[in-house]
Amino acid sequence: MFNEGTFKRHRNLNIVVLLVLLAFIARLTWFQIWAAPGFRDEAKQAIEVTKGIEAVRGNIVDSQGNILATTIFTWDINIDPVNVGPVVLDIDGKQTEFSKEEATTYIATILNVAPSKILAKMTGVGRYANLKKNATATQFTQLKNLDIPWLYFDRKQTRYYPQGAVAGNLIGFMSSDGSALAGIERTMNSCLAGNDGKETYEQGADLIKIPSSIRTITPVRDGSDVVLTINSDLQYAAQQEVAATVKRLNADWASAIVIEVATGKILAAAEAPTVDPNKPGAVKAQNRASRIFQTAFEPGSILKPVAAATALDTGKATPLTHVTAPQSLRMPWGQFINDAELHAPERLTLTGVLAQSSNTGIVQIGGKVDSATRYDYMKKFGMGDKTGVNFEGESSGVLTNYKNWDKMTDKVVMFGQGVSLTPIQTADIFQTFANKGVRVSPLLISGCQDRSGNLDPTEVDSPVRVLSEKTASQTMDMLEKVVEKGPIGRTARIFGYRVAGKTGTAQIAEGKGYGRLHAVSFVGIAPAEDPKYVVAVTAYKSRNISNSLGATPGFVAVMKQVLKTYAVPPSTTKSKKIPTGW
Amino acid sequence: MSVVRAIQPIRPIAPRRHLRPLPAATTPRVAAVPRATSRASAFALLRALSPKIIIGAVLIIVVNLGLSSLSNASIYQISQLKKDTATLGTQTQIINQQVASLRSPQNLANSAMALGMVVNSNPVFLSVKQSRIFGTSSPASANNSGVSNNLIANAVLITKSNPSKFAASQKAQIDVPSVLSVKTHKSPIVKVVLPSDGIPTSPTH
Repeated sequence: MFNEGTFKRHRNLNIVVLLVLLAFIARLTWFQIWAAPGFRDEAKQAIEVTKGIEAVRGNIVDSQGNILATTIFTWDINIDPVNVGPVVLDIDGKQTEFSKEEATTYIATILNVAPSKILAKMTGVGRYANLKKNATATQFTQLKNLDIPWLYFDRKQTRYYPQGAVAGNLIGFMSSDGSALAGIERTMNSCLAGNDGKETYEQGADLIKIPSSIRTITPVRDGSDVVLTINSDLQYAAQQEVAATVKRLNADWASAIVIEVATGKILAAAEAPTVDPNKPGAVKAQNRASRIFQTAFEPGSILKPVAAATALDTGKATPLTHVTAPQSLRMPWGQFINDAELHAPERLTLTGVLAQSSNTGIVQIGGKVDSATRYDYMKKFGMGDKTGVNFEGESSGVLTNYKNWDKMTDKVVMFGQGVSLTPIQTADIFQTFANKGVRVSPLLISGCQDRSGNLDPTEVDSPVRVLSEKTASQTMDMLEKVVEKGPIGRTARIFGYRVAGKTGTAQIAEGKGYGRLHAVSFVGIAPAEDPKYVVAVTAYKSRNISNSLGATPGFVAVMKQVLKTYAVPPSTTKSKKIPTGW
Repeated sequence: MSVVRAIQPIRPIAPRRHLRPLPAATTPRVAAVPRATSRASAFALLRALSPKIIIGAVLIIVVNLGLSSLSNASIYQISQLKKDTATLGTQTQIINQQVASLRSPQNLANSAMALGMVVNSNPVFLSVKQSRIFGTSSPASANNSGVSNNLIANAVLITKSNPSKFAASQKAQIDVPSVLSVKTHKSPIVKVVLPSDGIPTSPTH
């Protein structure tokens, strides 16, 4: 078939083909094995993108699920000055070219800034200039629809408080760079923040993400929600009242607390003045905090029921124990204890002592109990310790050990001097009277709720039995007489309801003595026959009214709102007949 | 390997024999098979397989191109859908903020006051179960209704109710956020279709 020459030619040709083939194989091996990692890295750098995924911060909601704090997006509007030039815009279907000055007019109108300010930023050879920070979604949409090629938008998370200053004292606020600075925002940051994620993906030359190339390095976990015990409607109503109280009394500040007796849940913790977390810089620094938890002061006569209940519980007195209360009582060591008002000596029962808010009366009856026992009761009422709320910067108040009390302090603590309490501690004491002698720690945060709706409840302190049920009931009966017969207490009456409560007019320590202005307060419980709610109202440094008459109108308004909100029917029974004098 | 094993010769070729008389008492000889025989069979095999290989290769290329084209189209579609989602998300945020503003207690208090409403501080409760009335009814009046006008700040109260519109328009409509009627021919505007009732009219933005 083949002669010798043909065979040789074929053989040579095969050898050449084989050599070429070997050369190809060698080259391919080099590409595929030796040089492959380098090419892979080069390609990866060109098309692979690693991007952080920001976790969305959780919401703060009230007990009804109403949003008090949430996260929205805002946009920083930037330009590339080098590329600024005329643009073609479509106005009502007609394409028109606009100069950069004319385009600027549109931008300025949308951003609500002067065109000259924008034009000033357009000059120069820089590649970046910021026109506005935190532009709204509406502004962003309007600008994006202009489709101006030299406008750039950087989206970022921003905190948004739809109810403004409602519960602003509790919620706290964030900095512009997203750091939690105060309130629940800071104390519950670990619940709210979530964890940022990271992913890599490949993108084409036109920056389109290639779906199959997405690889999650760190999964993103959005923040959980914080559920408060607050009822935002009630909170608003209470804030309205305390704001009006501050105006009416020309006071430094006022507060109103609403506590559900059975659970200790704080339904409202209102203050005025307070902060709108959307604009924390608009108010003075002292108005950005929560005085309800952070400010302790001597509460005054509002503590007399503690001394009275201690005397009852230890068997040293009954609601009918007699005492003669002079206007001024000389102590054995020569100092005097005085009542606030001038009066002739009064024959009072212990019930009458509370109704008349007699300092000299309570010192005589309360003093039947030794100092150590009185101190123990005060500790059991929660004085000198932070509440279970553990609000950031919460004050524990001051209750010095009875061993360190001097002779006068030993007496004046019975009417609320020589001891300091925060408004929430004071309210908690009255919760104890109303809750049959069992003190339940106040609760502000129900828990941390994940996106699936699972609530991780807040750990609460165990309830503490402070008084016997009988003593608590007797104390409630006496407090009801304060509202029925007390000269100031009667202004806290609520038509149709039985109300128990106590007035407080406290001197405010200044330097080594007391100042001219007072902290006036009223804490009440309703309905007295079946206590459901405690309302505590305080006005600090009232300039127009220097006694609890300044606080009772606010108490009545807030308590009425509470009873209406929770549809508590009016009382159908009458209070016990207990004489206040003898 | 499996491919090689699967290929069978199309036409088995019988080995050629060169017959000639054997000399007596000679031992049998082994004759070499001519080389041309195996080359011819290889060519034949190649000839037989070539069309199939070419058709297969073309088919693979065509399918690959088709899949690639479809994949590319999907990628751009996904990208566009993500953009649309972002646009809709922004529109949703605008509307949510308007709703939040309208339902804020500050706006409601101001609107109620503008309509002449006052708080009834002495409500009466009806117990259907007990067939009883609790409380004594009395007309609400502005004198004992407590604080009426809003005193609580809200910096994001951007959308306010217009009480004068309530009477005129019984049927509330959603006011879709107005954007400037300015756009380039390149910009596809994703329009949000919203229900036409349920939320009060928003007069401002």
